[in-house]
This record gives sequence, structure tokens and C-alpha cells, in this order.
Amino acid sequence: MDTPLHDDTGALPGDFAIWIFIFAELLVFGVFFLAYAFARANNVELFNESQLQLDRISGAANTLVLITSSYFVVRAVAAIRDDDSRRCVHWLAAAIGMGSVFLVIKMFEFADKFSAGISLSTNTFFMFYLSLTFFHFMHVILGMVILAAVLFKARSGGYSAASHIGVETGASYWHMVDLVWLILFPLVYVIH
Amino acid sequence: MSTSRLIRPCTAVWLLLVILTGVTYLVGQAGLSGMAVVAFVLITTLFKSQMVVDHFMGLKRARPFWRGLLFGYLLIVCGMIGVAYYVGLTH
Repeated sequence: MDTPLHDDTGALPGDFAIWIFIFAELLVFGVFFLAYAFARANNVELFNESQLQLDRISGAANTLVLITSSYFVVRAVAAIRDDDSRRCVHWLAAAIGMGSVFLVIKMFEFADKFSAGISLSTNTFFMFYLSLTFFHFMHVILGMVILAAVLFKARSGGYSAASHIGVETGASYWHMVDLVWLILFPLVYVIH
Repeated sequence: MSTSRLIRPCTAVWLLLVILTGVTYLVGQAGLSGMAVVAFVLITTLFKSQMVVDHFMGLKRARPFWRGLLFGYLLIVCGMIGVAYYVGLTH
């Protein structure tokens, strides 16, 4: 059995409104990814040479961090389905902690690039690299804010096994943030 | 249904995602390139993404339309990245 995020009615987990937001976000990221991919097709050498300056270990580490944070969120949802608010809060805190680790790693990466004199105007590759990863960075922050709001409500006993749509809503958004990075990492850091 | 039974498959999914991320990283570190390598990386990415959609987001239990919509999105994005890579090779 999978860990269900929702009941068996076939509905999307969480509030439907968040899914409108999620689909809109995915569309924007999708366009961004394809713009990068086709810009690369016209500047293959430039993109390949510039990509060598990226820290692939940081990119891979951040992928593992986001996957793990998503897993923690799954555990938080499972906990509230078991009517265990305390455990739900702990898993959410762990997920937010992993989000913080992502931000710290990314800030070190940004600092490294800026100290090397790299900016948006360096070349087309770095324009995409910096804007794409910063755009995603902002989504991680928003995801953490949403998870924190869910955590505080869970801590005050605001959710139960019978009523936890807010937890599922926050979880769905956080998984979207993870999903986008799963594509961004190979696209920007690996494919050459 | 016990919690441990519910959680265990998700832990397996997490482990699989970790392993596949390691494989993708190693492909990059090895400096491998070419259409076959990129196809492998993109199929791995598609598979990983669908695992997140199905098992983490929980869409395996949602109506097939929603799951299909997200799979279609992932297929188009990964497929078009592959097409763009091919265009780059032929330039």
C-alpha cells in the first residue's frame, strides 16, 4: 500500500485551489526549462563550457535534500491521518529543516558564483542558471512559509485524522517544489 | 491498516529516488554525453518525477485524469528537452 495523501474519492489531495496554483507554477517552470533547452541548442559550446563552472556536488546534494524533505512531508501527512498531531509537527519541522539546508547550500553556491564575478549578464547560460535557480529558490522559501503555517496550526491541535486538508494542501505544494528541482538538476547541472 | 505498513513503501520510494539521483550525478561526473546518455538521464528523470507524483503527492489514488495530466506534462517537458538536445547536436 502507498501512503495515501487523501481519501479514496479520487479527488486531488488538499484544497483544489492549491492545484490551480501548482499547475500554473508547473506551466511557468516548463516554459522556462524549454527556453533554456532551446537556447542551449543554439549555443552548445558556450553552455557546455559554462556548465563546467557549476558545483555539481551542491546540485546533487540539494536534490537529495529536497527528496528527503518531501519524504518527511509524506510522513507528516501519514502521522495526522493517524491522528498524531505531535508526530506530524515533528515531521513538518524536519521537512522545514531540510528546506533550510537547501537554502544554505544554494546561498553558498550563489556566493561562490558572485565572488567569481559571475552575474546575469555574464552570458546566456548564467542568465538562465541564475534566474532559474533563484526563481526556484524563492519557491522553496514560499513552500517553507506554507509548511510553517501548517506546523503552527498542527501544533495547536488544528488538524485531526478526520480533518487535515490543510496538511495535504501544504504537502502538495512542497512536493511540487521538489518535482521542479528533479527536472532542473539534470537539465542545468548534468546534461551536456 | 498499521502505520508501519503505510510508511514502508514510501521509504522504499525515497531510497529509490536517492539511488537514481546518485546515478544521474555519476553520469554527469563521468563526463558522459550524447543522445543515448541524455535519453537515459531524461527517462530516469521522468521515472523519478512520476514516482513523486504517484507516491509522494499521492496521485496514484486520484482520478486517472489528474495523474495523466501530470504525466503528460512531464512527458512533454522531458521529451522536448530531448528534442532540443538533438537539435543542438545537429547544429
